[in-house]
Amino acid sequence: MILKTFFKESKEVWRDGRVRIAFAIVLSLLGIAIWISARQYQNINEQHQMAETTERAIWDNQGEKNPHSAAHYGTYAFKPKYPLSLVDQGVDKYVGTSIFLEAHKRNEAQFSAAADQTGLARFGDLTPDFILLFIVPLLIILLGYNSFTKEREMGTLTLLKSQGISSWKWVMGKWMALFFPIFVLSAILFLIAGFILSNLQDFGVFNWSSLFTMFWIYTGYYIIFINIVLFISTRVKKSGIALVLSLSVWILACLAAPKAASNIAETKYPYPTRQEFAANVLKDKQGGLDGHNPWSKESKLLEQKVLAEHGVDSIHKLPFNFDAYRMQKGEEHEAEIYFKHYNHLKEQFTRQSNVYRGLAVVSPYLPTRFLSMAIAHTDYATHWDFADAAENYRIATQKFLNDNFAENSSYGEWAYRADADFWKELPDFNYDPPELRTILTNNASSLWILGTWMVVSFSILLLTSKTI
Amino acid sequence: MLRYNFIYELRLLLRSRWIQLLSLLLLVLFGFSTFNGEQKVQKRRSDIAAAKQEVQESDQAMIKLLDSVERGMEVSVPYWTIPTSPMAVGNYYPRVAAMEPQPMSFVSTGQADLFTHYMKPTVSGDDFTLNFTEMSSPVQLLFGSFDLAFVIVYLLPLLIIAFTYNVLSSEKEQGSLRLLASQPISIGKWVFQKLILRFFWLSVLATFSLLATIFLVGIGPFQWGAFLSLLALTLSYMLFWFALAFLVNLFVGSSAKNAVSLIGLWVLFVLLTPSVLNQLGSKLYPMPSRTLMINKMRERKAAATERQDEILDNFLRDHPEYAINDSTQTRSFYHRYMASQEVVKEELQPIVNEYEKQLQKQQTWSKQLQWISPAIVVQESLNQLAGTSTDDYENYRGQVMGFAEVWREHFMSFLYNNQNFSQADYPGLPQFHFEQRKDKSVLTVPILLLMTIVMLCCGLLASKSLKTGKVLS
Repeated sequence: MILKTFFKESKEVWRDGRVRIAFAIVLSLLGIAIWISARQYQNINEQHQMAETTERAIWDNQGEKNPHSAAHYGTYAFKPKYPLSLVDQGVDKYVGTSIFLEAHKRNEAQFSAAADQTGLARFGDLTPDFILLFIVPLLIILLGYNSFTKEREMGTLTLLKSQGISSWKWVMGKWMALFFPIFVLSAILFLIAGFILSNLQDFGVFNWSSLFTMFWIYTGYYIIFINIVLFISTRVKKSGIALVLSLSVWILACLAAPKAASNIAETKYPYPTRQEFAANVLKDKQGGLDGHNPWSKESKLLEQKVLAEHGVDSIHKLPFNFDAYRMQKGEEHEAEIYFKHYNHLKEQFTRQSNVYRGLAVVSPYLPTRFLSMAIAHTDYATHWDFADAAENYRIATQKFLNDNFAENSSYGEWAYRADADFWKELPDFNYDPPELRTILTNNASSLWILGTWMVVSFSILLLTSKTI
Repeated sequence: MLRYNFIYELRLLLRSRWIQLLSLLLLVLFGFSTFNGEQKVQKRRSDIAAAKQEVQESDQAMIKLLDSVERGMEVSVPYWTIPTSPMAVGNYYPRVAAMEPQPMSFVSTGQADLFTHYMKPTVSGDDFTLNFTEMSSPVQLLFGSFDLAFVIVYLLPLLIIAFTYNVLSSEKEQGSLRLLASQPISIGKWVFQKLILRFFWLSVLATFSLLATIFLVGIGPFQWGAFLSLLALTLSYMLFWFALAFLVNLFVGSSAKNAVSLIGLWVLFVLLTPSVLNQLGSKLYPMPSRTLMINKMRERKAAATERQDEILDNFLRDHPEYAINDSTQTRSFYHRYMASQEVVKEELQPIVNEYEKQLQKQQTWSKQLQWISPAIVVQESLNQLAGTSTDDYENYRGQVMGFAEVWREHFMSFLYNNQNFSQADYPGLPQFHFEQRKDKSVLTVPILLLMTIVMLCCGLLASKSLKTGKVLS
C-alpha cells in the first residue's frame, strides 16, 4: 500500500509542469554553482602554492644575518583551501588567509576576501552550500505543501478514508514520494562533486567518506523539512495557508534564527575590538620580561637566577650568549601572554557556539550548517586550529633562531651573523586539518540535535496521522 | 465605489484580525531589529570613547615624563620610549582616528561588523598593510545581523506576499467572485483598489510601528529628515511589492499558484540576483591575490634594507626641507629606516592602488546593475543612510591613510633636524577629524516609484483587455 501511494504520488508530481521546471532550475543553478566554485578553488590553490614557494625562497635566501634580525624579518604561514570547500565555503570568505610569523608578536590572519568585495558580498554567494541549505528546502515546500490539502480540496479525502488503508501507511507513501526526488537530486549533486574533486590535480586530503558523511547530514536536514511540510499539510485545511505556514517555518529556520542568534551571541559574549585587544596585550607585556630590555627588573632577576644556576659570577662567563637566552625567555613569556588573550577569545567563541546550539531548537538549519562547514574544513574551529598550529610553528622558529644565536656567540656579540645556509635548516610549516573522526566527536552535540529533530518531527508526523 | 471598498476592506481586515496580527508582527520585528542596531551603535560609541579616554591618560603621562626629562630628572621607562624622541611620540603615543556613528546608524549594520571604527596610525607602521577589519567572529559575519534593513529588505516583502497573494483568487475559490462581477466595477480596477487600500493600511501600520519603536528604544539624536528618507525608501519598496502582487493576482490564478509565483520572484530578487551579481562582479574585476602582494612587498623591503644608506642619502637630497635646521648631522637607525620606508611605500603604491581600483570598478559595476533587483537598491540606500556602506568605509580608509601621512610628516622634520620633542610641541600634534561623505544619491526613491508606477499602469492597461468572463470561468 505504501508503494502504491508512492507510485501514484510520484507520477502526479512528475506530470506537474511546474515541478519539472523547478527541478530544472535547481539543477542548473547547482551546475553553475559547482562550476564557479571549482574554478575558484583551482585558482586559489595555484596562488597558494606560488605564495608558499616564493615566501620560502625569500626566507632561505636571506644571506648572512643575525638570527634575531631574521626573527624580526619573519615569515608567513598561508592557509590552504580544502577540496570539500567546493561544496561548502563556510566562513572562508570572512577569515584571513595568511599569518605573519615574527619575533615577539602573534599576529592574526590577514586579508579576508569579504573585505576586498563590495557590499553585495553580504547578500551571500551562489555556491553549492547556498543551494543545498536554502533552495532545496524551498523545493521541498513547493513539492509537498499541498500533499494532503489537495485531497481535502478535491474532495478525495472522504474517498480515501473509506478505503481500508491505515493512515500511517498512506502518510508513509506520500513521505516517500516527496523524499525520493530530493534524495536523487542531492545524490547526483554529491556524486558530481566527488568526481570533480577526485579528478582535480592536487586533491590532497579529499576522501569519499567525508563527502558521504556530508551527504547523510544533508539528507537528514531534508528529512526534517519533509516531516515539517507534511505535518503542516495534514493539519491545515487550505493549500494556500499550508504554503504560507511552511514558508514561515523556512524563513524562521534559515533566515531569522541564524541572524537573531548572531546578534544574541554578540551582545552576550562580545569580542574586544582589535585596538582594545592590542592594548590589553601590550599592558600585560609591559609588566613582564622583555627580551630587548636588559635594564628591567625582570631581566635582572633572570640574570641572578641563571648566574646562580651555573655557579658563575658574571654573565660573560656563561657558556652561551646571555642576550640570546634572555631573548628566548622573553619570547616564551610573550607567547604565554598571547596564549592567555587568545584563549579568552576562544572562550568567547565557545560560549557563542553554545548560544547557536541553544537556538538550534527552533532551527534545524543551524546544526546542519555547522556540521557541514566542519566536515568541509571551512568552519571557525578549523581556522582556530590553523592559527594555533601557526603559532606553535612561530614559537618553534623563535627557539630555533635564538638557540643558534645563544650557542654560537658570546654575550654582547650583536654583530654575530649566522651562515647563509642556516635558514634552510628551518623545517617547513605543515598543517594537517583534523580528521573526520575528530570533527564528528567535536561536533557530537550538533549531530545529536539534528538526530533529535529528525526523530521528534518524524514521530509527530506519524503519531498525528490518525486524526487527519 | 472606492468609499464602499474602503469601509468594507477595513471591516474585513479588522474582523479577520489581519490588522491586529500585522501590527503585532511589525512591532515585534521593528522593535527587535532596532534594539539590536542601537546596541551595536552604543557599543561602537563606547569603544571609541574608551579609546579616546585612554589616549588622554597616556598623554598626561607623556607630559609628566617630558616635564621630568626637561628638568633633568631620571625616568623609569625604557630609553627608546622616552617622549623626547620624536619617533617615540609618533609610535607610542598615537592619536585615535575614529569614525563616529551617524544618527541613522542603527538602521543597517552594513559593513560595520566587518570593519573597524577607530585606528591609531603610528609613524613607523606600514600604511598599506593597516588592517581595517574588525576582530569579529566569522560566523557572525556569515549569518549577518538582524537589523532594521534585514526586516525591511527580506521580511517585509514576505509579509506583503502573505497579505496579498489571494486577494482575487480567494474570491474565486469562495465563489463570491460572481457576486463581484455583477457590481459596476471592472475586475482590474477592483483588485487595484483593494491592493491600494491594503497598501495604505500596511503603510500606516509600518509608519506608526517604526515611530513607536524608535521612541521606545530611545534613539537619539532623532532627525526628522533622515527618518523621512527611511520612511520614503521603505514605503516605495513596499509599493513595489504590492505592484508585483497586483500583476500576479491578475494574471496567475489560484491562491497556491499566486503564492508560489510571488515566492519565486522574492527568491529571484532578494536571494539569487544579488549573489549572482556579486560573483559576476568579482569574476569580471578580480582582486589580485593578496598573498602574492605579500611576496612583492617582502621582496621590495628586503631590497630596500640592503641599500639603506644609499636610500638615506638620496632621500635627504630629495627632501632638503626635512633637515633645514640640522646642525649635528647625526644619523641613527630611524633616519635610515624612515627613509627606506618612504621608498618602499612609493614602490608599492601602484600595487596597493590596484586593489582600490578593482574595488572601485566592482562598485561602479554593481551600482549600474543594482536596478535589476530593488532589494539591492534598497539595501544599498539603507547602508548609505546609516553610513555603513562600502563607500563610507572606503572614505574612512582614505582619510585614515591621509592622517597617517600627516602624522608621519609631522615627526619627520623633528627626526631629520635631530630636534627633541618637548612639552611646547604637544599642542601642535595633528588631530584626526572624520568627514562624512557628501555624494549621497537622492534618486533612489523617485526611480523606485517610477518603476512601480510603470508596473501598475501595465497591469491596469492589460486588465482592460482581460475579459471578466475569462476570470470567472
